[in-house]
Amino acid sequence: MTFAILTRLRFGLAAAAIAMLSGCVQVAAPDKPIEINLNINIRQEVVVRLQEDVRDLIKKNPGVF
Amino acid sequence: MNRQMKLILAAGIGLAAVVGGTSVAFAMYQDASAQLRATGKVGEQADGYLGVVGSADATLRAQVDGINIKRRAYYTDLAGKRGAKIEEVAAATACEIFSSRVGSGQYYRLADGVWRQREGNAPVPRPSYCG
Repeated sequence: MTFAILTRLRFGLAAAAIAMLSGCVQVAAPDKPIEINLNINIRQEVVVRLQEDVRDLIKKNPGVF
Repeated sequence: MNRQMKLILAAGIGLAAVVGGTSVAFAMYQDASAQLRATGKVGEQADGYLGVVGSADATLRAQVDGINIKRRAYYTDLAGKRGAKIEEVAAATACEIFSSRVGSGQYYRLADGVWRQREGNAPVPRPSYCG
């Protein structure tokens, strides 16, 4: 193999690797860090109003919940 | 083997690792959250997100973060549809998770920040706002 072919191959592989990595990063990295704050002030009537929606959400996404 | 060949080989191995890791992640996706809870290293929090019980290695941390990112996306979506805050949707979800998803011997954490283990089939205490 000539140097030129090798160089092209390397660029190709690097580009593929970067494309795949950026694809993964989009899935894995948050837009911003998720802040876990347990002392949240929640209104009970809102929770009750959302009850059916969140039951549905959990049922439809068993891998996440 | 010259240096260039080694570089190409290394890139190939790197690609294989990424592809392999992705397929493993997909394979466990179906009940990833339940599997993590079952290890006892991960528990459910009153804020609607998974938390690490004790210290976490990087792999576990990444799995928990990955699920929490997905949860946040669902919470954000539902909050927009219902005119609620993201934290409110997350908290409402925590109410449901605490009563239906935390299994025997699994961990949960209320607003006091203390991890507790569900004993047998005793009901998991829910956050005060659950109603």
